[in-house]
Amino acid sequence: MPKGLTLRELSKKEVLLSSGHRMCAGCGAPTVVKMVLLASDYPIIAANATGCLEVSTCISDYTAWKIPWIHNAFENAAATISGVETMYRSLKKQGKIDKEIKFIAFGGDGGTYDIGLQSLSGAMERGHDMLYICYDNGAYMNTGIQRSSATPFGADTTTRPAGSVVQGKTEQRKNLTKIMAAHNIPYAAQASPSHWMDLMRKVRKALEINGPKFMNIIAPCNRGWRSRTDDAILLSRLAVETCYWPLYEIENGITKITFKPKEKKPVVDFLKPQGRFKHLFKPDNEGILNRLQAEIDREWGRLQKEETCYAS
Amino acid sequence: MNNNKILMRGNEVIAEAAIQAGCRFYAGYPITPQNEIPEYMSKRMPEVKGVFIQAESELAAINMVYGASAAGIRAMTSSSSPGISLKQEALSFLAGAELPAVIVNMQRGGPGLGNISGCQSDYFQAVKGGGHGDYKLLVYAPYSLQELWDLTMLAFDKADEYRNPVMILGDGIIGQMMEPFYPTAYQKPALPAKDWVLDGCKNREPRVIKSLYMGDGELEMRNNLLQKKYRIMKNNDVRFESYYAEDSEVLVVAFGIVARIALSSVMKLRREGYKMGLFRPVTLFPFPEKELSLLSGKNRQFITIEMNAGQMVEDVRLSVNGRSEVLFYGRPGGAVITPEELQEKILELCNCRNHFIKTELNVT
Repeated sequence: MPKGLTLRELSKKEVLLSSGHRMCAGCGAPTVVKMVLLASDYPIIAANATGCLEVSTCISDYTAWKIPWIHNAFENAAATISGVETMYRSLKKQGKIDKEIKFIAFGGDGGTYDIGLQSLSGAMERGHDMLYICYDNGAYMNTGIQRSSATPFGADTTTRPAGSVVQGKTEQRKNLTKIMAAHNIPYAAQASPSHWMDLMRKVRKALEINGPKFMNIIAPCNRGWRSRTDDAILLSRLAVETCYWPLYEIENGITKITFKPKEKKPVVDFLKPQGRFKHLFKPDNEGILNRLQAEIDREWGRLQKEETCYAS
Repeated sequence: MNNNKILMRGNEVIAEAAIQAGCRFYAGYPITPQNEIPEYMSKRMPEVKGVFIQAESELAAINMVYGASAAGIRAMTSSSSPGISLKQEALSFLAGAELPAVIVNMQRGGPGLGNISGCQSDYFQAVKGGGHGDYKLLVYAPYSLQELWDLTMLAFDKADEYRNPVMILGDGIIGQMMEPFYPTAYQKPALPAKDWVLDGCKNREPRVIKSLYMGDGELEMRNNLLQKKYRIMKNNDVRFESYYAEDSEVLVVAFGIVARIALSSVMKLRREGYKMGLFRPVTLFPFPEKELSLLSGKNRQFITIEMNAGQMVEDVRLSVNGRSEVLFYGRPGGAVITPEELQEKILELCNCRNHFIKTELNVT
């Protein structure tokens, strides 16, 4: 067990996202944030893109964050934290500050995959010493479940509704983790709150690396996924065990799968408890289920090949 | 559509009116309080063989509209205040390239992220040209769902008539509220042929749509033509409504949802014997400056009421040009004014409790 990550040690640390925030009951995002902040031994300054997390953790004059926190607009969390981090580096260089501080930006999939991609790409390319964390719940949940480029193929959303002709989203998800890795940044990883040790270990590793880092973390949303409120961890585990959301990291260009399910479950195990996929279980839609499974198999196979390629 | 009243939500009224008016391209992006527009369009557009696209940002959405409009399609996008700020570059390009388009702004409180309740603080941005360069949008400010229906249809006609972007300046309240209205059938007027559309130049001369004029004096000439167009709008397209304006000692000026609230207050005060009137600009550009100017004079006070810190009041003052006192009452930041509050404020502001001559007034 990595040092500082035992339950005994963690239980002594202060939780830096306090309760009383207004995220929905059963939301995966605050769990993710708590784990990320708990993993760090450094003081953290966080930026937050517009979204559920931002709007629900800073109601009026109150904040749930026990750390310095900055929100700007929807499309520029990465740019905003770039500014803060650069000023910090300059002050440090001038000898006006000596504290070791880490910078983390949080954004949902809408604010990261879509409107925030330009500013994220810019920040990664410029090489700021920062960690960007995307909590991916697969749609614009804050505004009422509109599709995003992270929405899975076949999912029902309010702007790509499943009906008699169209069966939910007709496009594939964007593979953002790979896109970020293609920036040749020192660290990109995927994590899930179900595998909390893996998630926290990745955060700790990322924070030790100088330069831009990216982590994509699945965060179930029971409102948007039309699932039970107490299923967030179960669903994030199923996402991992079906290889819909493989846990891996790409460190200095080298891919490593950090969790391999003993028995890879069929994707329907992940889809079935979610109302956003219920139309896929109509007899006519077997083809869509097969396509989803085939896509996951293909990506999982590719990931394993990548790992093998580097292992040799 | 039949002639019975139907009940719908404001945002959906806009979306359906656009479809009825022949809009076949809609690109949008989520932002509260206008999400019902893209949601409605995502279901409805395929039924009429139109196109719905959810873009990856507001910038992308309005630039898709630029493309669709250049191809000759009636195109629309919608958003709310912060999203409309992002669209300003493309609005300037649409105006510069003279491309018709309809842009809906269901305003919310600002500045910055503000809040999500109805507000009127984008008046300047809408009527003074929020983007760069000397350009104007034709701006409609509906105050009921009937007007949302009618003006959305008209917006498409005017956009084509003038080859100019037209804005529907609503707010979170009008977008979210439900009320019955008559879904009158769309009747397309005679419009100039779209002889500028980029639809393939086989068997004809190639065409160019652009806003870049680098030659000596070219851009000035272009600007002069645009200004001429805006003057024609000023002459032909001013719309307003007035209630007892001629018979008033105090004339309340308000637009959009505030005019709806002010109307209740003004009528109540008239019943109590105060000589009040209401003037409601329906077009914010062109602004009814001549009409307000004619109503100005020593014996009449003006009170402008807005859900902002005072924006339209500047245009009222310019129109009145010192001939009447122009007072202002506003609630910025998405605060909603109640008719009772307004009654009190009007009486307080114009200090008329004492010198008002109460008479039996005609109120209908």
